[in-house]
Amino acid sequence: MFETSSESPAPVRVVSEAIKEYVDRLGPIWIEGEISEINERSGGMAFMRLRDTSVDMSMSVMCHKSVLSGVSPLPQNARVVIFAKASWYTKSGTFTMSAREIRQVGMGELLARLEALKAVLASEGLFDEERKVRLPLLPRKVGLICGRNTDAEKDVVENAKRRWPSVEFEIREVAVQGAAAVVEVSAALAELEAQEDVDVIIITRGGGSFEDLLPFSDESLVRLAASCKTPIVSAIGHEKDSPLLDLVADVRASTPTDAAKKVVPDISEEIEMITALGQRARRHILSLLDLETSRIENLRNRPVLKDPLVLVTTREEIVTGLRDRSTRSFTHRLTLASEELLHTTARVRALSPQATLDRGYSVVQLEDGSIVRDPHSLSAGQKLRIRLAMGETNATATGN
Amino acid sequence: MTTEKKLSYEGARDELATVVSQLETGGATLEESLKLWERGEELAAMCQEWLDGARAKLSAVKPSEK
Repeated sequence: MFETSSESPAPVRVVSEAIKEYVDRLGPIWIEGEISEINERSGGMAFMRLRDTSVDMSMSVMCHKSVLSGVSPLPQNARVVIFAKASWYTKSGTFTMSAREIRQVGMGELLARLEALKAVLASEGLFDEERKVRLPLLPRKVGLICGRNTDAEKDVVENAKRRWPSVEFEIREVAVQGAAAVVEVSAALAELEAQEDVDVIIITRGGGSFEDLLPFSDESLVRLAASCKTPIVSAIGHEKDSPLLDLVADVRASTPTDAAKKVVPDISEEIEMITALGQRARRHILSLLDLETSRIENLRNRPVLKDPLVLVTTREEIVTGLRDRSTRSFTHRLTLASEELLHTTARVRALSPQATLDRGYSVVQLEDGSIVRDPHSLSAGQKLRIRLAMGETNATATGN
Repeated sequence: MTTEKKLSYEGARDELATVVSQLETGGATLEESLKLWERGEELAAMCQEWLDGARAKLSAVKPSEK
């Protein structure tokens, strides 16, 4: 570094030399990037634009055509690794990055790198189940990041609207291929994440080659998605494709249509379900009512309630029964008694002397009532009572 | 009639069942039986009222047939 000021400025040559020195310090290096434009000049040189794979930066790189011939034809947005040297021409003050060797990054290499990244992210727990957030039943707004007027976009919007006509979208049409994809998708994602009323974000893109889908496995994009609070639905490529974004998203949808289904409820389905529940509740109550009614019915029909007279009549029967018994037993006793009476009177009559007296006999008694049976027991002048059939008289003994 | 403390439907139904079984097994005096019978009628009416009320509420809320 050296001090300069408006009073003691450094001359151009000194500054240029200083820059050259800085630049030379970089030395030849291997750089990874994506080649987005190549134009070959007549003079044997070729110029290309090398873009960073995840950030919106790029640089112009030149090389001799022969360097290019080794790898051409390079596909669009080819991922390459180049061995280049930066240099600063002090005379004209121009900077150039010239490539001495270009190698295309092969599929195997990309895959291996992808797996490695996957392992790292997995170990950090970015793919863990507990991180996944449940999708809201009725999102206020649905964020949609997709390619410019692609089928994917149409599928999502149409299906969602059919299921829930009042759904509202926040659509961000971005590049979904090549280096720009990561940058634009990330920007859109950040923007929608910040928007408070966007309750869910769908990131979708139709099928494509492995390279086409590569941006959706880009570390910076995947980390950004992981950091979002808003639930993310990823619907990238076909069923078989599974970029890292799928693993970090809250829900993976196999197709754009599937994404729409997962994000908005089907109103008619919901209504049907609710009416069905209503009907089930109603049927239950009705059957309960029927059961209770029949129970009350059967209680009311029991004789004791239906014709209560039975309470009286049964007692009446008992009373009449008792009364009959008592009269019967009474009359019975009566007859017995009267019979008994007859007997006793007959016996009395039979025992009574009257009959004998009637036959002319008489009974002699002393005054004390004792009966005289032996004349010798008498003494003259003794008073006697004589009981005759018709009555009684007195007499005195004369002695014999 | 005694003023009824808020008896639940189940309460009324169960008491009705007891009254009926008491009447059926007999053993109560005539006077008691009469009182039991009256109670039975009262309870039955109460239960019926509940059920009719519930049914009325239900039909009042009948979902419009599509």
